[in-house]
Amino acid sequence: MNRRHFLKGLVATSYVGLSSTSVLAPFNALAAAGTKANDDWLTTGSHFGAFKMKRKNGVIDQVIPFELDKYPTDMINGVKGLVYNPSRVRYPMVRLDFLLKGHKSDTSQRGDFRFVRVTWDKALTLFKDSLDEVQTQYGPSGLHAGQTGWRATGQLHSSTSHMQRAVGMHGNFVKKIGDYSTGAGQTILPYILGSTEVYAQGTSWPLILEQSKTIILWSNDPYKNLQVGWNAETHESFAYLAELKEKVKQGKIRVISIDPVVTKTQKYLGCEQLYVNPQTDVALMLGIAHEMITSKLHDEKFIEGYSLGFDRFVPYILGESDSVAKTPEWASKITGVSPEIIRDLAKVMTKGRTQIMMGWCIQRQQHGEQPYWMAAVLATMIGQIGLPGGGISYGHHYSSIGVPSSGAAAPGAFPRNLDEGQKPLFDSNDFKGASSTIPIARWIDAILEPGKTIDANGAKVTYPDIKMMVFSGNNPWSHHQDRNKMKQAFQKLECVVTVDINWTATCRFSDIVLPACTTFERNDIDVYGSYANRGVLAMQKMVEPLFDSLSDFDIFTRFAKIMGKETEYTRGMSEFDWIKKLYNDCKADNAGKFDMPNFDTFWKQGYVHFGEGQPWTRHADFRDDPEMNPLGTPSGLIEIFSRKIAQFNYDDCPGHPTWIEKSERSHGGPGSDKYPMWMQSCHPDKRLHSQMCESQQYRETYTVQGREPVYLNPTDAKQRGIKDGDVVRVFNDRGQLLAGAVVSDSFPTGVIRIHEGAWYGPVGKDGAKQGGSEIGALCSYGDPNTLTQDIGTSKLAQACSAYTCLVDFEKYQGKLPDVSSFNGPIETQL
Amino acid sequence: MNDKILYNTPMNQGRSMVYKLLSSLFAKELDQQLLQELTASQAQAFFAQLASDPLLSQDIETINSELNSTLTSVNTDHALLELAADYCGLFLVGTKHSASPYASFYLNDNAVAKDDVLLFGEQHQQMQTYLKQNQLTVQSEFPEPSDHIAVILAYVAHQACACDDSAQLSFIRQYLHAWLPRFVDRLTSVDTGQFYSAIAHLTLAWVESDCEGLKGAQ
Repeated sequence: MNRRHFLKGLVATSYVGLSSTSVLAPFNALAAAGTKANDDWLTTGSHFGAFKMKRKNGVIDQVIPFELDKYPTDMINGVKGLVYNPSRVRYPMVRLDFLLKGHKSDTSQRGDFRFVRVTWDKALTLFKDSLDEVQTQYGPSGLHAGQTGWRATGQLHSSTSHMQRAVGMHGNFVKKIGDYSTGAGQTILPYILGSTEVYAQGTSWPLILEQSKTIILWSNDPYKNLQVGWNAETHESFAYLAELKEKVKQGKIRVISIDPVVTKTQKYLGCEQLYVNPQTDVALMLGIAHEMITSKLHDEKFIEGYSLGFDRFVPYILGESDSVAKTPEWASKITGVSPEIIRDLAKVMTKGRTQIMMGWCIQRQQHGEQPYWMAAVLATMIGQIGLPGGGISYGHHYSSIGVPSSGAAAPGAFPRNLDEGQKPLFDSNDFKGASSTIPIARWIDAILEPGKTIDANGAKVTYPDIKMMVFSGNNPWSHHQDRNKMKQAFQKLECVVTVDINWTATCRFSDIVLPACTTFERNDIDVYGSYANRGVLAMQKMVEPLFDSLSDFDIFTRFAKIMGKETEYTRGMSEFDWIKKLYNDCKADNAGKFDMPNFDTFWKQGYVHFGEGQPWTRHADFRDDPEMNPLGTPSGLIEIFSRKIAQFNYDDCPGHPTWIEKSERSHGGPGSDKYPMWMQSCHPDKRLHSQMCESQQYRETYTVQGREPVYLNPTDAKQRGIKDGDVVRVFNDRGQLLAGAVVSDSFPTGVIRIHEGAWYGPVGKDGAKQGGSEIGALCSYGDPNTLTQDIGTSKLAQACSAYTCLVDFEKYQGKLPDVSSFNGPIETQL
Repeated sequence: MNDKILYNTPMNQGRSMVYKLLSSLFAKELDQQLLQELTASQAQAFFAQLASDPLLSQDIETINSELNSTLTSVNTDHALLELAADYCGLFLVGTKHSASPYASFYLNDNAVAKDDVLLFGEQHQQMQTYLKQNQLTVQSEFPEPSDHIAVILAYVAHQACACDDSAQLSFIRQYLHAWLPRFVDRLTSVDTGQFYSAIAHLTLAWVESDCEGLKGAQ
């Protein structure tokens, strides 16, 4: 064939139709002139830490810690992998069948389907049309836009605020109360100590280091959990942990970690461990209380002056009210801790200054209210609440709690609610007899059983008939329990909308998926040092939003425009106007107390530091004068017995702390004959919940054969023929997953650990890439919530109970399926 | 004599048109306008001429048959959406179950496509440098990394009439043909339809035949 003739023949057809659509254009030097130089170091922040970045040809190149962060985590090495992740949601997308059939689509396809790209206008119009349909057909009880999560840092672009303000301008909707982290704790503690305690500043570390003789870390792993924070984290607590380590070494402070496993903190501090059978901490605490009472170790004067209801509690301890004395021998049988150790612990805790530090995991179990209440009772019996280095805290592992507060005001945020006088397009408040607010972890129950009435915190909650869910910066397909139950619920929904940066499982189970840009593709402002308010951080845009993604501000401004409410939404201000306003308002709040430069200087230098704070003791004012400074409880005192709770008459949360058997418990407890292993799914060491799991290169620093690690005791592993590095199938009646074995004697027999936040990656039978939407599908990566139980903690908090979970495991013998978690939706052949 | 006049021959114009067409087909989903264009007489004549090369005829036939069945479908919009869903699954989401259209996913030491490559990586930077040297840039409406196959094909289309054969051949071999066979293998193994597999095959066959032609002309 003659090439010349052939090619000339092509030209002769005069086909020119496509010449205008080239993806290339002449380079316009003028347009590029305004771009910032690549060699500037820019400042920004994240949950993983504040840091600085440099670009190369417009792409993020280097990441180094912020100069004031002396204990940075290696998680910032994962940031590039987050931004340039192949699983970025690149364009607005709609599930094909939803695009064709709207609210009548085949919902069994969710989680395993075909998507198409649409324009922002089309996607947002579909979103609004769906809201219109739900508000018209069902009213506000048909819409749940209140399920919110950890978002990304930044006071302006906070995803929850934008989504709820914008959707709120359209109409009213069902909201949640509480959160997954501390649901039981934050509900019970206001009755006992007068505040949530979990989200409150705690006694300063310098006082603890100076005054405490004994520190009890109860189910608490601060060295792991302090790596991430709610705001831009600067890790100041780690300096105090380093000091504590030194004091432990010198024998000046005794630290006892009461925990079934050897924690990261225990290893770091080189401290003691007191092993306790999982979920039996309340029994251990009762045994300690029995010893304190019978040996008269408790502080009667403090109990009398500062608490209420001890007299109602003692008969329970002594067995006068239920014929079971809570002796150390009784406790020993349940907890696996010897009576001698329990007696000794009662002595240790009451001799010298003792600070009890509770972790959060312990209240994410059935009856999770009880260990928090009982620990407060123990602290009351010790009599040191309100003394520096004594008493009890519930947050020293979280977001700089314990770092002395600067006392400065932090910048405000973009408003979450409508401004005064603003009305939604659909202004109905008719929830058709259902509740407008439901406990956070009960939404799947609500979808499955609309109209059902449950008890919750002294009230009746009637489940609304939810038809549509809206999520933004939130991944419930990571943090909610029982995937197979979730699948059933999601098939009942007519429409699901998710805004996120990468293709989480929540995106995959949605109908409309909207691409948000990452924190590093927008300008923002944040506080650093969270509870200590150490300073204000400029969050400078590193790169333009990738692909067709937009900032949360831009997404919902466009949405508001479609509703004809753009100016109402933005108050006529741009992104940068808002940042300046938030800064200048903060400057005005701090006037006369803390010098803050003008905005331009702040933005140029990247931060304003507020300086050192003064040490402070939690509840010292109450101890000084309980009448002048009462607690927020009904009596103003610590409530060992709560009349209010007793009046609710709940069998699973009576009027004083009580040992109640769990629906599933290992080490001889219910269900352990069938599934002998307790699975703990605590907060990860190398992620913030599910954030950062998708960053592959970083993920490979901890995965096993590409799977999430499952930590196993050597004996349990050996019994099942499993070696370190094997792939293991973990299962129970609720589900099954694959994970990679890490055999370690940090874990006792009968206990396994899989960190929560491992991305859900269901695969079909025999590992087929299709079929992930099927009930019972195998999770190819190792999401522990494939196995957990979706039940409330009790009628009081109705919080999540992920820690009440028994499983078994075996060596996986089948053909190893590819991990399906990180690659966006997998289409199925219809 | 200026380069543009020197290289802007009818032969190179013909080559450029093919690269441009292929670039456009990878750049975005088929929509009504594109479908009309491709099934109109001028494009059909162009396809017919392409199909006169026996190495290309089979793929042209598949593409034409897909285009015509879409056009004559009872619901053309629906048929276009099905093709758009194919496009989305192949090129717009993830890596593992798709055929990422980026050179960086294939230009590595392994024989198979990699899943752990970050977007906007080394190959993107290289293409940016080439584009800049040639006073070109990727359209802002196409917010993709510059190692996207549509960008590379468009760049070759541009070079066809702007530089000498050996420079073109060297570029095509190094930045296109070096990974194209792996991309085509991947695409055909995951494609649930036929349209994009045929376009990928056609692209490979065309590039290989063009390389032969360029080599022979030297």
